[in-house]
Amino acid sequence: MKRRDFIRLSALTSLTVAAGIDSFLAKAFAAAPPVDLAVVTGPSPAKITAAAVDALGGIRSFISRGDVVVVKPNIGWDRTPEYAANTNPEVVGAIVRLCLEAGAKKVKVFDRPVNDPRRCYVQSGIAEAVKSSGAELSYIDDRKFRDTKINGSALKSWPLYSELMEADKVINVPIAKHHSLARLTMGMKNWMGVMGGSRWSIHQKIDESLVDLATAIKPTLVILDAVRILTANGPQGGNLKDVKKLDTVVAGVNQVAVDAYGASLFGMKPADLGYLRIAAQKGLGPLDISRMKIKKVTVS
Amino acid sequence: MTMRGIRIVVQGAFLLLFVFLFLQTESKGNDELGYPVRLFLDFDPLILITTLLSAHAAATGFLFSLVVIAGTILLGRVFCGWICPFGTLHNMVGAFSRRASKLSPRWNMLKYLLLVFLLVSALFGMQLVGLFDPLSLLIRSFSVGIYPAIASLTNASLDVLYGTGNATVNSLADILSDLVKKLYMPFQQPFYEQGWFVSLIFFGLLGLNFVEKRFWCRNLCPLGALLGLLSRQSLLKRSVSEGCNECGSCNRVCQGGATPHEKGQWQPTECLYCWNCDDVCPKNAVSFGFGAKTQTGSLDIGRRRIVTAALSGAVAVPMLRTTPLARQGFHNPALVRPPGSLEEHEFLRRCVKCGECMKVCITGGLQPTLMEAGLEGIWSPLLIPKIGYCEYRCTLCGQVCPTGAISKLTIEEKAKVSIGIAMIDKGRCLPYAHSTPCIVCEEVCPTGKKAIWLEEVKVKDAEGKIVMVKQPHVDLKTCIGCGICEARCPVLDKPAIYISSIGETRSKTNKLLL
Repeated sequence: MKRRDFIRLSALTSLTVAAGIDSFLAKAFAAAPPVDLAVVTGPSPAKITAAAVDALGGIRSFISRGDVVVVKPNIGWDRTPEYAANTNPEVVGAIVRLCLEAGAKKVKVFDRPVNDPRRCYVQSGIAEAVKSSGAELSYIDDRKFRDTKINGSALKSWPLYSELMEADKVINVPIAKHHSLARLTMGMKNWMGVMGGSRWSIHQKIDESLVDLATAIKPTLVILDAVRILTANGPQGGNLKDVKKLDTVVAGVNQVAVDAYGASLFGMKPADLGYLRIAAQKGLGPLDISRMKIKKVTVS
Repeated sequence: MTMRGIRIVVQGAFLLLFVFLFLQTESKGNDELGYPVRLFLDFDPLILITTLLSAHAAATGFLFSLVVIAGTILLGRVFCGWICPFGTLHNMVGAFSRRASKLSPRWNMLKYLLLVFLLVSALFGMQLVGLFDPLSLLIRSFSVGIYPAIASLTNASLDVLYGTGNATVNSLADILSDLVKKLYMPFQQPFYEQGWFVSLIFFGLLGLNFVEKRFWCRNLCPLGALLGLLSRQSLLKRSVSEGCNECGSCNRVCQGGATPHEKGQWQPTECLYCWNCDDVCPKNAVSFGFGAKTQTGSLDIGRRRIVTAALSGAVAVPMLRTTPLARQGFHNPALVRPPGSLEEHEFLRRCVKCGECMKVCITGGLQPTLMEAGLEGIWSPLLIPKIGYCEYRCTLCGQVCPTGAISKLTIEEKAKVSIGIAMIDKGRCLPYAHSTPCIVCEEVCPTGKKAIWLEEVKVKDAEGKIVMVKQPHVDLKTCIGCGICEARCPVLDKPAIYISSIGETRSKTNKLLL
């Protein structure tokens, strides 16, 4: 072996080992974040998002170098940010930047909106935020839905979006809003945005369907945007009187726990929401906020 | 480069501009398009004149068409020979036709008679010009027929590639898919009723090139006829020098059928200024120039024919208007017009059925009518929410309408305009008829305070068990008839909530509330 080859080999080996340790550490952290939930308040949506991820152990405990990450906001409606119908664009931009800083190979952002996708992406401000953060915002391509086995109580199988199902990491970035049937739409209901086909029929068994979806899709991280929440006429709003500014994000790794805390932002108990009750019964996550380890931070 | 060569380059450039503007007639998510997509229509003097006659008004955009009028008076039918994209398409198809025309040149008077017919019917308040105006016809054919077919063909080809399941082929398909998206593909596949019908007419007209080259331009085009009349005294004239031996070469390449081969018989009304005769003349005897004193052939249509055409135009108006639709207080529930549309009679006096609104409609819900608005209104736009609802904050149809048949509204103004009212079919609605929860219509309703409100009701299901459902009701004062409820209703085949034209803001008689 020539000397140059030896150097090259040893360099490669040490890199591989380092990467191995890195992902080992990441896994170790992901398994046991320091707290269950981070609840961060402050005037800058980007800063509170970053602080919430820090409070959970930092982005590197969730995202490894080379990961393909899907960031899934709610971009369902043709509304501007002040109407609180879509996820806050600064929250989305901040999480995208964190993922890229952690070495993600690709960060993909998409949603299957209810209104025209072009208007939703642009008017929500998310198109601009994602573009300037360096991620890839794409429109849903019908060819990319794959029939997926769910074996739930309401949904046996459903076409789900392959780009999300095949991603290395998925970060759910919902917004907290009123909904006349589910009562509130937050993280678990945000998976409706990756359902293909005629997804409206799930309203016939909304709570069971949402729980089934949550068993099929397990996010690495959930960041609930409560910078502005929509308290009535949801989920698309349109009346500024229904919008309440809380300047808050709630982050956690368990989607039931995050939604449970989200309910409290509306003065509701987690058990008021049918889908959270069923999810807890099935052991998908805790409902009792008082028994969660919550780190509250204020960022000026 | 010869003048003919320059002309071909110019024609190509205008055709490209036309196609570019056509492709830009599509939302990118902003409130405005950013391009003057209806530019060609703005330059159309035929629409200006018929709209002045039928509606006693003209949209400001049509001031551009004065340029074409002035240009034609000075230069002759240069618009037809050099600019008109439909004319260029006829040129292109005609290039495949080898046959020399056996038609009598007298066929060319048809277009003048058609023009007279259209002008007189417009004078009596009926706007039929859009059916024959070449630019309206072209944009309509592209919008509802040709372009959707091209998109469908492209998608089908990509599906074949994706269907192979081979990774290499799939990644090739990805590259191709991205490329066609950037080049020409629409955001989503458009679907139009009557696409085939409009296309058939379009291809039929192009096919007439095999009877005679530029058959449409020579014999049928009413805009060509109007420009022909304007160019009778044009300053740019063709002259033939002594060297001409009347060999007839020029006649074989003449695009307009302007009898260039007979001395003193050249017809400026028919000449398209294509410069072919100059190019082809073996004696180099042909020249075009200003101020040349040229003896020209006269245009003789015949007084009787003109009177007949005029009478036909006048008679057509009551013939087409004695449908029940014209009766006071008689309304077609399916005739849901785009937001900002003028009152129906006023609307029909302006709409030229160009299809711009249908092309730009963000959901593809604006469709061409067949008989919903009578024969007078054929191919005018109506919204079919099941195909595509009216997007609450989109105002594009009013922005692209060339004649003001659809007014340009701001987002705030549009929110106050009702195009109809949602009606619930309780026999099909899940919470009413089938004791099954569903609130989709309420969920998607875009008015700030929702126009659909829910009543919580205890009902029995098939097992006799009491279940709570929320039954939707429509608030007549708030509903604007956008139809997103109909579009998203899970009862897919025949939605349990649907839009009816009653309550439309534009009508004084189609009212429901006191």
